[in-house]
Amino acid sequence: MPETLEITPALPIPEHLCGEVQSKLAYVDESILTARVAPGGERITLQLSQPADGDVRARLEEKVQRVVTTMVKGAIRPKVQVLEDHLERPVPYHKDPNDELFACRELSQEATGIFTLGPLLTRLVAFFEDRFLELADSFQAEPYRFPILIPARYLERVNYFRAFPHSLSFVTHLREDLDAIDHFAAHAACDQHGALNMPLDAFSKIETLLSPAVCYHLYFALADRPLPGGQVTATAVGSCFRYEAINLTSLERLWNFTMREVIFVGAKDFVLEKREVARQRMQSVFEQIGLAYRVESANDPFFIGEFRKQVAFQSAFQLKFEIRARLPFKESTLAVGSYNYHQDFFGRHLNITLPDGAPAHTGCVAFGLERIAYAFLCQYGLEPANWPAAVRQGFSYE
Amino acid sequence: MDSTLMLTSAIRELLAEALQVPIETVPPDIGFGDLPQWDSMGHMEVMLLLEQRYGVEINAETIAALTSIPVICTYLTENGHA
Repeated sequence: MPETLEITPALPIPEHLCGEVQSKLAYVDESILTARVAPGGERITLQLSQPADGDVRARLEEKVQRVVTTMVKGAIRPKVQVLEDHLERPVPYHKDPNDELFACRELSQEATGIFTLGPLLTRLVAFFEDRFLELADSFQAEPYRFPILIPARYLERVNYFRAFPHSLSFVTHLREDLDAIDHFAAHAACDQHGALNMPLDAFSKIETLLSPAVCYHLYFALADRPLPGGQVTATAVGSCFRYEAINLTSLERLWNFTMREVIFVGAKDFVLEKREVARQRMQSVFEQIGLAYRVESANDPFFIGEFRKQVAFQSAFQLKFEIRARLPFKESTLAVGSYNYHQDFFGRHLNITLPDGAPAHTGCVAFGLERIAYAFLCQYGLEPANWPAAVRQGFSYE
Repeated sequence: MDSTLMLTSAIRELLAEALQVPIETVPPDIGFGDLPQWDSMGHMEVMLLLEQRYGVEINAETIAALTSIPVICTYLTENGHA
């Protein structure tokens, strides 16, 4: 029987942090089914999977207050900069497309945050992918293929464990031990929640994770040597994995999603100029597609310990801009891509050097393929006849 | 020692403390990125210490601007901290 727990935050949560705090409450405790911060930031409501006694409630409240205090105390209001605003571009569809997507089997859910896409969605993803490849070609970006696995020691080297511990996805395998493998083969089974019944000591130590980003692989490939020719422009598409607990809902937020990136490595001016040119080129692409969206400054989803400082830094130096597409049915927006500049963070941490010996700067433009297809369907519906001509013509339906 | 030199010396000490490096590695003209420790996180440690010691308001403008000892000293002098 679910139970509701109401908590008054130890500090009032400013409006600009309500969404950020709410998303982090997902990681407070496994018993939390939903977490909501009221719009004014004066109340937190948790729905729990089972009744909680006094001790459990006290422990939960302590953890919630730790999240609130860590994220809110001394928080710096970010400087919001809007580079483009086409949110009011007229779009014909205002319904929630999810029911229809499931009903016509365009979307099948395998598990939390894991979805299979049907033919229409897959073709739509391919259409957008072609547009992003055209962008990559316009920069004569070199193609790369990256693995979906990434060594733990790589992520450690770029401080990923400190910044984003909550969203990591770990990889293991059975230990090289005949007894353990035989035992697994004979007894492995899933419980009613889908969890394997094997003890953890049957598995190897974790040396590998599922990759959380595409561009990192390029930086690791370029590490510990001078940058060839002083600059690199590359492109790759890849599966990315970010565990988001109860925030994993529909195509808006997947555990396993696909990103196409165009990546720039070189001197500061080179990277910043290419990032801006990419934004301008995509502006005309999105206009042809008829997407209602805005490009505004943003921050990465740092975990609570790093949140305040990292967000303030990203905001001050305008390092990240998100393409936020309108979701008419819920009057909100969804990030479908981003324009990023990392300064010389990767250059210094991975020892990627320019011809003069200085650390290289990096930046990337990244597009979430499932998300942009989903946002488009939210704005135009599932009937291709109602789509803008540029999409119909470029879509392999016609 | 004149006030400018005293302030520079104090900011060198502040940086060494914030970045947890020996003061000998912090020359008077050092800027953001000149030391591996003065990265994004290091910079925010510097800002937090400037806030504590000198009451510098941490906001987008000061974070983006105060990226070297000479600039920090000029800012503090212009804002009556010298």
